[in-house]
Amino acid sequence: MKTINYVLTGLGGQGILFMTKVLATTALNKGYNILGAETHGMAQRGGSVVSHLRIGDARSSLIRAGAADFLLSMDESEAYRYLPYLKKGGKLFANASSQTFPDERIALYLKKNEIESRAMEAAKKAMELGSPRSTNLAMVAFYAAFGYGPLTADDLRATVDDMSPGPFKEKNLRIFDVCYETGRQMV
Amino acid sequence: MKQEFLLGNGAIALGLLEAGCQIMTSYPGTPSSEILPEVVRFSKAANLNTSIEWSINEKVAFDNAFAAAISGKRAACCMKMVGLNVAADSFMSAAYIGNIGGLVIISCDDPGPHSSQTEQDSRLMARIGKVPVLDPSSPEEAREMIKFAFDLSEEFQVPVMVRPAIRICHARQNIEYDVLENNLTKADFKREPTRWASTPKFRFLQHKALNEKHVKISEKFNTLTPFNMHNLEKKKSYPFGVVTGGVPSSVIQDMFEEYGRKDIPVLKLGAPYPFPEKLSSEFMDACDKVLVIEETDTLIEYLLRDKHKTLGRLSGHVPMEGELVPEKIEGIMNKALLDCGLPALSDFDCGLEAFNLVGGLELPIRKPTLCSGCPHRASFYSIRKALPKAIFPSDIGCYTLGSNLGVVDTVLDMGAGITMASGFWNAYIQDGVKKPIVATMGDSTFFHSGTTGLINAVYNNSRFILVILDNHITAMTGMQPAITQGDRVDGSKGNAIALETIVKGCGVNYIKVLDPFDTKNMIQTVKDAAQYVNDPDGGIAVIISRHPCVIGFKDEAIPEKIKVTITDKCDECGFCHTRFECPAMYQDKENQKTEINKVLCAECGVCLQICPRDAIERV
Repeated sequence: MKTINYVLTGLGGQGILFMTKVLATTALNKGYNILGAETHGMAQRGGSVVSHLRIGDARSSLIRAGAADFLLSMDESEAYRYLPYLKKGGKLFANASSQTFPDERIALYLKKNEIESRAMEAAKKAMELGSPRSTNLAMVAFYAAFGYGPLTADDLRATVDDMSPGPFKEKNLRIFDVCYETGRQMV
Repeated sequence: MKQEFLLGNGAIALGLLEAGCQIMTSYPGTPSSEILPEVVRFSKAANLNTSIEWSINEKVAFDNAFAAAISGKRAACCMKMVGLNVAADSFMSAAYIGNIGGLVIISCDDPGPHSSQTEQDSRLMARIGKVPVLDPSSPEEAREMIKFAFDLSEEFQVPVMVRPAIRICHARQNIEYDVLENNLTKADFKREPTRWASTPKFRFLQHKALNEKHVKISEKFNTLTPFNMHNLEKKKSYPFGVVTGGVPSSVIQDMFEEYGRKDIPVLKLGAPYPFPEKLSSEFMDACDKVLVIEETDTLIEYLLRDKHKTLGRLSGHVPMEGELVPEKIEGIMNKALLDCGLPALSDFDCGLEAFNLVGGLELPIRKPTLCSGCPHRASFYSIRKALPKAIFPSDIGCYTLGSNLGVVDTVLDMGAGITMASGFWNAYIQDGVKKPIVATMGDSTFFHSGTTGLINAVYNNSRFILVILDNHITAMTGMQPAITQGDRVDGSKGNAIALETIVKGCGVNYIKVLDPFDTKNMIQTVKDAAQYVNDPDGGIAVIISRHPCVIGFKDEAIPEKIKVTITDKCDECGFCHTRFECPAMYQDKENQKTEINKVLCAECGVCLQICPRDAIERV
C-alpha cells in the first residue's frame, strides 16, 4: 500500500496526541504499519501543536511539505499554518464555521491544488453535547463521514469505543455519531 | 508477542532491557526525558529488578553508571545533548579507562532546536572523547543499536554512545516485543589501581591501547550491515552518490523510493565513528561526486577528507543550522543534482509558495508561555514590581519563559542564574556601583547545578537576591519528580531534601520562605531582601518562593477555586494579557473588550491582585 499521510494540528490541551492515538490504533488493528512524530518539551508550551501520522511502510516519521493526504485541524489558524503540508488533491478538515472557512485569501490556492476543504464547528458541537474536551473526537468523526483513506467510520468508532474509559464511553460515542451525521449531510 | 505504538524513547527503553541493562541513570531533558519512565514501565511489567534513578545531574548519572559497569554490570545513562556537557569531564576519561560490563551513553540531540539552547551534535563529543557512536534512523533501529552497543562495549571494553535525534525520540512506531528477563550478573569489582585510578603515565598507555581498539572497531564498522551499508553495484561507477546516516537516511530512502531514483547510490553510516574507512573509500571511489547529508554538524563530511568530491555543509549545499526536515532535504538534493548536471528529483518548490501565502495571513504568533495559574507568573510579577531596574539572570526550565514578563535577562546554562548574578555583581562593584540583581532558578535546577555557584558567591562576598522558584517538580521536561518532593522515578519514596537546609549550608544567613500567590507579601519581601543585600553587614538574600506546579499538582496548587469577572472599571490597558500574560485573558476581536476564557482559566485568583485599574473582581 502507498503510505497515507495525516497531519493533525491544533492548540496545546486540545488532545492532538489522543486524536493521533485513535487513528493510529485503528490502523494498527487493521494490520498496517504506522509511524508518527510528536511535539514535546518547550515546543509543546507554544500553543501550536502538530502531530504527523504515516500509515504504511515509510521509514521517516516526518511528512514532507506538499505530501500530506489529510490535514485535520482543531483550530482555524492552525489549519492555515499547516496548509503547506497538504499535497495536490489533499483533503482539509477544520474545526471552523463552514460559513466563513476557508479564508478567501487561500481559496485560489486550494482550487489550484485541487484541495477539498470541509469545516464543522467541532468545538461548538462538543460543547453542546456536554463534553468540550471531546472536540478531538468530533473532528475524527467528521473526517470519517467522508469515507476517505484506509480507515472506515466503523473502524474508527470501534476504536473510540475501546479507548474511552467507562464513564465517558456513552458521551464520546454520542459525539462521534452526531458529528459523523453532520459530515454525512455534507457529502 | 505484544505490540505497541511506542514512542522512540520507549523503543530505546525496550532495547536497554532486552540487552540486560541492570543499572539505569538519567537527568531529564527534552528530547530524552521519557526513556527512564519507559524503562520503569517495562521493568515493572516484567517484574525485573532493574536499578533505575533520576540522578541529581548528568555527571552524577554518568559516574553512577560507570561504577556499575566497572563492577561488571551492564549500565546505561541517558541525557539530552547539553546534559552531556555537564558529564563531559567524566565522559572524556571514560574511554581511556574503559569498562568491564557494557556501558552505553544515550545522548539525545535536538536539531532545530525545538527545546534546547544549542544545536550541538553529540557525535562530535563522541569524537573528542574517543567513544564509538551509533546514530539510529528509526525507533526500531535505535532499539537494535542499543543491544549492539552493549555487545560492542563489552567486546572492546570501551563505552559506546547511541545518539538518537529528536525525530527518533519523539517518533512513534508499532513495535513488537517478547518477554523480558532479568540479567543476573553480580557486581564484582576487581581492584586494579593502575587501571581504575591510573596516573598520567598509565593514561598515556591507556590512550595508546584505546587508539588500537579504534582501528579494530573501524574494521568492524566496515561490514556492519545493516547499520553501515551501501547499495553500489559491483564494478559500476556513478556520477553522483549520497552519504548519510541517522534520521536523514530514512528521509532519503523514502524519497528515492517515491521518485524511483535507483540511479543514485546511498552510503548509510549509522555507525560513523570510529570511521569505517574501507567501506567509505569503496563508495568514494565509485562516485564522481557525493552529497553528505548528516544531522546536525559535520562529522562524516570531515572524515571523508575529500573536498574536491564532497558536497555538503562545507560547500554551502547543506545549511549550517536548523533541522533537516524532509522538504529541506528535497531542496538540497535537487540543487546538488542540478549542480552535477543530473536531473533533479522534482521541480517541487519545497512548499515555498504555500509557506509565503500562509505567512501573509498574519496568523497569531504562538510563543511559548507559562500556563494559566502557574506560580512562576506570580513570582515574576512581584519581583518586577519590587525591583524594576534590577538585572535578572535566570536559568533553564519553564521559568525561562519569564522573559515574556521582562524578568529574565540572561539564560546561559544550568546553574548560571547564580553564577552570572555573582559575575554581574563583580563587574559593577569594580566601578563602585551596587547594582541590584535578582537571580531566579527552579528547585530542580538548584539541586542540579546551583549549590557550587552559591557557595562561591557567598565565599567571595557577592551580593544579590536569589529567588528559588520551588514548584516541587521538574516541569518543563514533563513532570519528573524533584528532590524537594522526594518521590523516586518508580513511584517509591526517596528522601526529600529541604532547600532551606542546603541554602543555609551554603553559608546564606538570610532565607525567607513564602507563597508567591500572595503578591503583596512577596513584593515587600523582595524589597526587604534588597535592603539586606545593600547593608554593609548583609550578604546574599535567598527567597524560596514555594508553590506547587499547577499541572503536576492540580489540587494542591489551587486549593481554593476563585472565579473572577471583569468589571466596567476595565479601560483596556491590556496589562493582564500582554504584560502579566495570563493565557486565560484576551481581548475579544469583535467587541474590543478584555474577556476571560473559562476553559483555560485555572481559577487561581492571582489576577485580582495585579490589575492596575482594580477592574477584576471575585464572582
